[in-house]
Amino acid sequence: MNEKALVLKGICKAFAGHVAVADLSLEVPRNSIFGLLGPNGAGKTTTLRMVMDILGPDSGTIEILGKPADHAARDRIGYMPEERGLYPRMVLEEQLVFMAAIKGLRKREALERIGPWLERLSLADWRKRKTNELSKGMQQKAQFIATVLHQPDVLIVDEPMSGLDPVGMDVMREALIDMRRAGATIVLSSHQMETVERLCDRVALINRGQKILDGSVSEVKARHGKNTVALAFEGDGSFIESLPGVAKVTDFGQYFEVRLEDGTDPQPLLHEAAKRLKLRRFEIVEPSLHDIFVEAVTGHGKEAA
Amino acid sequence: MSPKLWAVIKREYVERVRTKAFVIGTILGPIIMGALMVVPMLAARSKSKPLRIAVVDGTGDLRGPVEQALRDAVDDDRKRFDVQPPAGEDAEAAETACKKAVLDKSLDGCLSLPKDAVSSAKASYYGRNVSNFSDIRTLERTVSKVLVTRRLTSAGLDAARVDDLTRGLDLRTVRVSEQGEREDKGAAMLLAMILMMMLYAGLLMWGQAVMTSVIEEKTSRVVEVMASGVPPTTLLTGKLLGVGGAGLTQYLVWALSLLGVSVASGSLGATGMPEVTWLMLASFVLFYVLGFLFYAALYAAIGSAVNTAQEAQSLAFPVLVPIIVAMVCWPAVMQSPDGPLAFTVSMIPGMSPLMMFLRIVILTPPVWQMLLSVALLVLGILGAVWFAARVYRVGILMYGKRPTFPEIMRWVRHS
Repeated sequence: MNEKALVLKGICKAFAGHVAVADLSLEVPRNSIFGLLGPNGAGKTTTLRMVMDILGPDSGTIEILGKPADHAARDRIGYMPEERGLYPRMVLEEQLVFMAAIKGLRKREALERIGPWLERLSLADWRKRKTNELSKGMQQKAQFIATVLHQPDVLIVDEPMSGLDPVGMDVMREALIDMRRAGATIVLSSHQMETVERLCDRVALINRGQKILDGSVSEVKARHGKNTVALAFEGDGSFIESLPGVAKVTDFGQYFEVRLEDGTDPQPLLHEAAKRLKLRRFEIVEPSLHDIFVEAVTGHGKEAA
Repeated sequence: MSPKLWAVIKREYVERVRTKAFVIGTILGPIIMGALMVVPMLAARSKSKPLRIAVVDGTGDLRGPVEQALRDAVDDDRKRFDVQPPAGEDAEAAETACKKAVLDKSLDGCLSLPKDAVSSAKASYYGRNVSNFSDIRTLERTVSKVLVTRRLTSAGLDAARVDDLTRGLDLRTVRVSEQGEREDKGAAMLLAMILMMMLYAGLLMWGQAVMTSVIEEKTSRVVEVMASGVPPTTLLTGKLLGVGGAGLTQYLVWALSLLGVSVASGSLGATGMPEVTWLMLASFVLFYVLGFLFYAALYAAIGSAVNTAQEAQSLAFPVLVPIIVAMVCWPAVMQSPDGPLAFTVSMIPGMSPLMMFLRIVILTPPVWQMLLSVALLVLGILGAVWFAARVYRVGILMYGKRPTFPEIMRWVRHS
């Protein structure tokens, strides 16, 4: 069995006037949770649309589950796009049966599977109600059920947590993890870096249609080095920015994340900070995906400009 | 048929057929249609009671023959006048009295012949209702005949011979068709108009239903989810067939009730009903189906290119042009169903569903013309679907500014 769930090779796509995706290659290993990151307009949605054959690439090849992408292979994917939607006037149950039918699932099986999913996402009481009577969060959950009802081998979800309350987020996270345990591969596109950091095995960062980072979460972080300091304190920390060896400060008020220039010893910073502030925490940490993201995107932006 | 296509068709069909508008429309259609056809017939038949009229004679010697002629006057084999004696012998007093009687409803009308009625050929009729044309026409014809007879006899001709010589024309209008002859009293024209209007309304209504449905899929953003599971052409095909099927269901109910009304009235022996032939019914359904596919494909293309129904209006206008031209042309086509204009408009794809159908109802055109019209329409449909599929593929994912017509043409060229 091929070890890759998705393989994209040299994908290009241009629209009138601008290049959306430029020579993009990606490999998503089977049975992993893969984070697809990038700022707005980076080409993520276009890439996912090409995987789903909603758009055709100008060049490049796409393989799904070890075979060239075709309709049968795409039926093994569950796709929850960023622009999600349900038919507003359809009864929830019929809607789910229909959405499963266009992925090739028979009505009888769909009906059997709907019950447990509705229970799990606390939608059981809404089974016979029209979709437009559901709240936004409920519609989000309904959309998720519609995406997974045919038990896809690959699940592509764009911002699965948006619009959910904390309880809903937990349920969604558990559902994703369970599906991975059951053997599915999950491609997760999100701007919620903490979610991505905790859930994903691997990430790829796209900017301006090109891949600028790729690898397992720990590799990506290691590549950035252990040169970030987390500081929690009371007092005015504004002097830190001007200390020698400090590359960048992310200011949260009473909590700073400080990036040091490569090869800088953090000890002088500790001394200075201890002298002038009431320190509650001083820790050398891995950079957060958030920082890596911001740095990679803005840095790349400067180069390109 | 692929299960996906079937699922899309079924959804579109079921969602439409379940709406209240559909149920009401399907039931009301035949009722309105029946009313339009049966009411004039019943009205003609029951034409109320004969009119009670009095004759006031200023000439002094015409009352007898006029009253006799009115008593004998018939329309549709029924006597139309119940002649009452006037209030007195003096013409002026009698006329005043009769008008009063008309007002207090003891009389329906009063015919007044002036002193010089024979020479001047003038008379007056006073009534509460003077717009019942067929009765007035009968009255006019009857009195005129008495006056003519009087003039001829006073010129020395024998009364019986005059009667014989001046017999009026009794014109029967008979529609000749392969199915045989049938007396027709203008009802065929009425039927042709009603059916064509139904076809016209149906094409627009169901064509726009497809457009609305495409716009709704964009507005609710469900279209990307759909496009990820179903190729756009399958989605478009399913939509056309599903919505078209719902429209067809309604049309079949209507067509069958039309047949029912026709058969029922035939068995009741009603003479005023036009004949509904199988050819008419079949072409009613066929031209609905073909016309629908033509217009619905274009409407789907428009729906996919816009964001809201308002935006669709200006783009939809060019699509309406052929159908509007057809509606302008129909009186001329009706007048001369074999003329060059009728031939031309019944061949142009956007117009042929209405115009060829109209010709078939009025006067069965040559078979080659019907076949040519259908063949051209089918070609038109293929072109429209090809165009729509290309616009649809690109349009459904486009949000924001409404594309201009040149932009849409670029999508067609590049997709």
